[in-house]
Amino acid sequence: MRPLTEEETKTVFAKLANYCSDLKSLIAPLDDGDRYVLRLNHARVYYVRLSIANIATSVARDQLLSLGTCLGKLTKTGKFRLHITALPILAENARHKIWVKENGAQPFLYGSNVVKAHVGRWSEDCPEHSGCVVYSMADIPLGFGVTARSTAEARRLDPIGIVCFRQADNGEYLRDEDTLFAG
Amino acid sequence: MGITKTIKNKHAANKSGIKGSKAARGERGGVADGVIKAKKNGTKSKTPINTKGRPNIADILKKRKQRTYTEKELGIPEVNKITPVGVAKPKGKKKGKVFVDDRESMTTILAIVQAEKEGQIESKMIRARQMEEIREARKAEAEAKEAERKARLDETKDSLRKKRKRPNTGRDKDGDGDADVRSLASTGSKATKPKNGKKRVSFAAPDE
Repeated sequence: MRPLTEEETKTVFAKLANYCSDLKSLIAPLDDGDRYVLRLNHARVYYVRLSIANIATSVARDQLLSLGTCLGKLTKTGKFRLHITALPILAENARHKIWVKENGAQPFLYGSNVVKAHVGRWSEDCPEHSGCVVYSMADIPLGFGVTARSTAEARRLDPIGIVCFRQADNGEYLRDEDTLFAG
Repeated sequence: MGITKTIKNKHAANKSGIKGSKAARGERGGVADGVIKAKKNGTKSKTPINTKGRPNIADILKKRKQRTYTEKELGIPEVNKITPVGVAKPKGKKKGKVFVDDRESMTTILAIVQAEKEGQIESKMIRARQMEEIREARKAEAEAKEAERKARLDETKDSLRKKRKRPNTGRDKDGDGDADVRSLASTGSKATKPKNGKKRVSFAAPDE
């Protein structure tokens, strides 16, 4: 386990900035004097309290399975891929949101893209190909994706037209159980 | 200079002594080291005398041999090297990664990244809005054109209708068309000879 280099930190923050509007709150100091830091172990980036990260140094690197919140994985080409485990952090201050109806929640959780017919409502002024968090109508975050059309274009779209390309959904906790935390 | 003097003296001493004496022979041939040393000293001593006041050639040669060229001075093309361009690591640089763990540097990176992203998203939105405006304008233009076309079509239709209507109304007013049809219906299509048109032949009466 080690802190991230400057380049890695930039990559991670750039990816998070696609989905979150306010990133400063992520690393803001907490009331008890502690703060959150980013740590890398087995190519996975963890968002963890500094005090916990310091305690975790007593565990050998190959023995350490996980700590804090796993944000995603750094690929060998230097890119960063967000995992579904980062959803609580993204949902807290999402830049763009899409709410899906009851009939659209299940297809999305099974790995489908969001079609226009399933959209209950969406945030205004959303450009295409920008990150958005998908919620149920009861404001429960279901996953996140990338918008296929801008809000104005999506209005003219036919009901079976894709509005949002899925990136990750809560169904992955079951579908990718084996590879989500290790391997 | 001192060395040369001693050598000269040595030779002089040998020559000056009895030639055939054992002692002299023994000194010359028996003690080889001494002779060689004397010769060596002699050869060495000659060079400085000859090159008095000039730079030493041997020294110059040595200096030339010591000269080593750097890779830049040689001007070897970069592609032609054994190690690829990207692989060679700069010398004198710290080995290993530089971690970012303090809050200040993290905040700085975050601010830079966020500003960059905001700019990108903003420009994207502006572009999207502009595109939307253009699309709206085009749509309005197309609608206007369509309306104009339709109006022209209607006008042409009306004019055609009017053209067709005029001769009909004229006939109706005269009542010719209807009268013809009625007469035809009542009399049938057989042509009847008019009574007035009957040919009559009259002969002139003969005079008595």
